[in-house]
Amino acid sequence: MSQKAEKLIDKKGLRLDGRKPDELRPIKIEVGILSNADGSAYIEQGKNKILAAAFGPREMHPKHLALPDRMVIRCRYHMAPFSVQERKSPSPSRREIELSKVIKESLEPTAFMEYYPRTGVDIFIEVLQADGSTRCASITAASVAMADAGIPMRDLVAACSAGKVDDTIILDLMDTEDKQGSADVPVALMPNQNAITLLQMDGTLTSEEFENAVNLALEGCRKIYAMQKEALKTKYVDVKEVEE
Amino acid sequence: MNSSERKSGKIVLPGDSLGVIEEFTPDPGTYVKDGIIYSGIVGRALLDLSNKRVSVYPLVHGAKIPKIESIVLGQVSSVQAENASIRIFKIGNKQLSGFFTGILHISDVQPSYVESMFDVCKPGDIMRAEVISEKNQVYHLSTKDRNLGVVYAFCSQCGYELEAKRQTAYCPRCGKIEKRKTTLDYGKGAL
Repeated sequence: MSQKAEKLIDKKGLRLDGRKPDELRPIKIEVGILSNADGSAYIEQGKNKILAAAFGPREMHPKHLALPDRMVIRCRYHMAPFSVQERKSPSPSRREIELSKVIKESLEPTAFMEYYPRTGVDIFIEVLQADGSTRCASITAASVAMADAGIPMRDLVAACSAGKVDDTIILDLMDTEDKQGSADVPVALMPNQNAITLLQMDGTLTSEEFENAVNLALEGCRKIYAMQKEALKTKYVDVKEVEE
Repeated sequence: MNSSERKSGKIVLPGDSLGVIEEFTPDPGTYVKDGIIYSGIVGRALLDLSNKRVSVYPLVHGAKIPKIESIVLGQVSSVQAENASIRIFKIGNKQLSGFFTGILHISDVQPSYVESMFDVCKPGDIMRAEVISEKNQVYHLSTKDRNLGVVYAFCSQCGYELEAKRQTAYCPRCGKIEKRKTTLDYGKGAL
């Protein structure tokens, strides 16, 4: 793993997997694939494979965590031991705990929390296979799972990352680009509200590069949003056809 | 947004705009931000052009919590002299993934006087009840209607399913006679 790739971007300006700098990985989103959850979604973004499940709103346990005026979102982001090349300990690591919090906070602005006082919504995100930008793919899947659970929301959340490798701003980083590149900017967006719910940066960028990266990521978010919509619509159109 | 996009019955997702408040009154399933009406759920847009109202009919019947007047089904988890606490697992027709806790007070069991809560239900029984209040962060239940009360009960001596016999419940296996506030459709599998 540690050997450096010679070049992350070749002479033709293409990346390791043959993508152009502003190209997303192929994305597949499926809705409602877990029967025990109130809402669920599965996303494949390149080699990423992520399951998200949403439960609730339901009574909070332990009860002292419930809030009298609104619901609480709890989120668990977890990577399966087999999701990366070297076995990952199944216990939640520092990174996973932080990502759980970050994902929770990027989903909170969308839900109508005040409609369901004293209840809780649980979101479980299981990374089955990881290949960079899993937090973005997780947010994308989790927001679809919440919509599938019927939780009233202001908007869906689509997330995408941008970054810099070999002095080029690129969209949707994969694992090697994330590790060997010089910067990573994950962005989550509520497309209809045009509101950013997550914005992080890892590495160094000049303010101009940062602006370009954010704009590229936002463009990616809008493309992913179209796929989220498509996935949700296909599910409900199919359901209707079965009923008729 | 052009007019061809705005058709009744179109599938809308959270965040899809449905119009502006000058044209429609927003109804359930929608919300308003900066004068624009958006859908709040996954559903079908219903545009009522004669009454100038817009709502979204949900395609997913999720996100249900007990409301006043909703009929709930639950299992009795504990009984005290004047109160019984009930684990609600179904609201209307919707099975919950978790549960809510409700309280049935002796004064809300039936219109006539009740001596003790132990004559109404026992732990493990399945009850149908109506939510009458959600004050003090607790769902208060009532079984005053004849269709409300115990729908399934089990013998406190041998655990066998009880049969309703006039005003009492009778155990066909050990012959024990117990008291229950049964519904009209008791034991008919009406879960």
